[in-house]
Amino acid sequence: MVIKDDAYYASRRQFLRTLAATGAIAAADLAWWEEPFLGPRRAHAAATTVRFQFSVPEPLRTSLVESLVERFNKSQKDIEVKVEFVPQAQARQKLITAVTAGNPPDCCQIWDNWLGEFDGMGAVEDLTGRAKEWKYYKDTLPIAWETVTFKGRILSFPWVVTNDAIYVRADRAKEYGIALPKDDWTWEDFLKTARAFTKADKNQYGFGMRGQGTWAVLYATEFMYGNGAQVLKDGKVAINSKEAVDGLDWYLDLFRKHKVTPPSVPTDGWRQIVEGFGRGVTNMYLHNSGSSEEQKKFVGAPSFVTVPIPLGPAKKRATFYFSETLTMFKASKNKDATWKFLTFLMDDDQHAHYAKTLGLLPARKSIADRPEFAKDPALAGFIKSFPFSIVSPYLAYAGWGGKLDSEGVPLFQQAMVGKLTAKECLDKFADVLTKNMM
Amino acid sequence: MANQQATIAVAAPRPLISRHTREILANYAYLLPAAICLGGTVLFPILKAMHMSLYHHVLIRPQDYRFIGLGNYVRMVQDPTFWLTLKNSFIWVFWSVSLQFFFGFLMALLLNGQFKGRAIFRTINLLPWIIPGVVVALIWEYIYQPNYGPLNDLLRRVGWMREPVAWLSDPGLAMPAVVLTNIWRGIPFFAIMILAGLQAIPDEIYEAATVDGAGVIQRFWSVTLPMLRPIIVVATATRIIWTFNYADLIFVMTSGGPANATQITSTYTLLQAYSDLDFGYAATLSVILLVIMLVFTALYLKLTKGVESVAG
Repeated sequence: MVIKDDAYYASRRQFLRTLAATGAIAAADLAWWEEPFLGPRRAHAAATTVRFQFSVPEPLRTSLVESLVERFNKSQKDIEVKVEFVPQAQARQKLITAVTAGNPPDCCQIWDNWLGEFDGMGAVEDLTGRAKEWKYYKDTLPIAWETVTFKGRILSFPWVVTNDAIYVRADRAKEYGIALPKDDWTWEDFLKTARAFTKADKNQYGFGMRGQGTWAVLYATEFMYGNGAQVLKDGKVAINSKEAVDGLDWYLDLFRKHKVTPPSVPTDGWRQIVEGFGRGVTNMYLHNSGSSEEQKKFVGAPSFVTVPIPLGPAKKRATFYFSETLTMFKASKNKDATWKFLTFLMDDDQHAHYAKTLGLLPARKSIADRPEFAKDPALAGFIKSFPFSIVSPYLAYAGWGGKLDSEGVPLFQQAMVGKLTAKECLDKFADVLTKNMM
Repeated sequence: MANQQATIAVAAPRPLISRHTREILANYAYLLPAAICLGGTVLFPILKAMHMSLYHHVLIRPQDYRFIGLGNYVRMVQDPTFWLTLKNSFIWVFWSVSLQFFFGFLMALLLNGQFKGRAIFRTINLLPWIIPGVVVALIWEYIYQPNYGPLNDLLRRVGWMREPVAWLSDPGLAMPAVVLTNIWRGIPFFAIMILAGLQAIPDEIYEAATVDGAGVIQRFWSVTLPMLRPIIVVATATRIIWTFNYADLIFVMTSGGPANATQITSTYTLLQAYSDLDFGYAATLSVILLVIMLVFTALYLKLTKGVESVAG
């Protein structure tokens, strides 16, 4: 007689299940950046919760940040980070409302051009002391610290940095017999290339100019710098100088006179210029390195190159650095836990992974020097632009932040559509800046 | 003889509050929860906005927070962009609502007829109204896209266009383009309201009018329109108020550009609040919007003789 030992069968099934589950956990851990992570597991109820607001300009970032936060939470026993995803368009507004209501998150990811405003609201924690004692303080690019330093105080971690360069369709250049731009190309070369790239009958344009959003003003200003213009000179607003006016005239003529840009320019924001290039409507555009990974998927890595912005008649050029920051709020009740999370994000693996996934440049030198960044052809134009990259002059005053958008953009658009001359536009713009130097 | 004892009636002590007063107070007590809710959600924000409008309240300059009386109102009167946005608001409201009403009326008349598939057609008619405003804006932004949008593509294919037209980027075309989108979205609202009104008109009235010799047009002018008047007044008044305050569509499609060509007062208010962080000035603009709408509603109801007089 055979006696079925139920306990034995149940135990075997249980064993197999456990084995399968262990395998799945191991596989998941192995898949985690191709190396297992065997840190201490978090307790059921963490003693400290850190609220982290992250604004999402593209879906890729959601899974990226979720994985980083999960990795941090797994490594902690007493701290749990809860991430609050907010669409980029609402991020600033949501933070302002939260700060005003006295309930901001513990920390957030914001761009450096918002930092001055939040500092003006008295909402940002001064990180100077902690940052200077942080083990990677000296490993972080000085220019990166500069983007987050206000009135001598370090207000954030510069998570990743970037500057601007011109994206060029290499495959189309070959197809049309156009020479690829050299690193020291000039405005004349730029116009010539843009003209050669413009095939209106094929719905193709030489240059995807931006007309909407704060960076519409910044890109125009970068070109004006090529003509010797400056936003501030001897502490005074000088954006309406002759050099600036001539530079802006030349830049806007790309749309107004030479028609080497799509007709939609006055309302084209960053999404339109990136997609325009990706869809093959434009063959060049000026942007930061943040869209390089997207373009690798849109047009393919071999089909485009990045080159520095062209030299202007003054034999000068400049692109503006900006950083994506990790910022702690003064109202945080868990500052030590928050600091722990922020420094975790700046550690080697997390820092490199974040920057690489998004096509941005790490703020830490030792990471930026890795071949995956330094030798990536899609980033070449940005790295070559380092010598003439400067911190955006519009970061000088917190009062300028919102004004660029609310008054600067409409003024530049008016100049674009011929309602104002470049001189009138810049005179009015200089007035706006002068009135808000605070 | 029975011993009779006289009972002396003792007057009950006079209550502190009379019965009539108690009833009144009880009635008010029943209203109190609703009054608190309404006061907290409607009245308080309005009063708060009025209060804020009297202060210099720029979030990035908390040290400058101070009472400035009518300073923000003076600034508004001197602000040329405000007047431009007000003009744009009236253009936006006038064309949006009048054409929504016209086409909504036509649609309602069509849907009131007897034809096959009427139920499906009525449901389809509602679609633009059901879709959220932001999604509508994104769909139409794509339709208008000059480089790869379907509208330009269609016009080019039928040979009506050679050069691509930048519908939303040309200052002369941007406002008509966003108005057209708003018309598309608002037609179902009027259609459904007017259709409900049409179906409530008793057939006997039409029959009586026909017996009296009224033709189609006379029946329309003398029966349909007067009977629909209460609905038309309410629907247009609410739609005008909504459209005046409606910022989503423009905000997503053009952000008020190009060069303020589509900047209406409500988007300008949003810009002041969340771009410049100037809550004092933004509150001032909101208060003025409220006053304009109150004056308009009063005038509109007076001119259209109100709803009650017609209904009564």
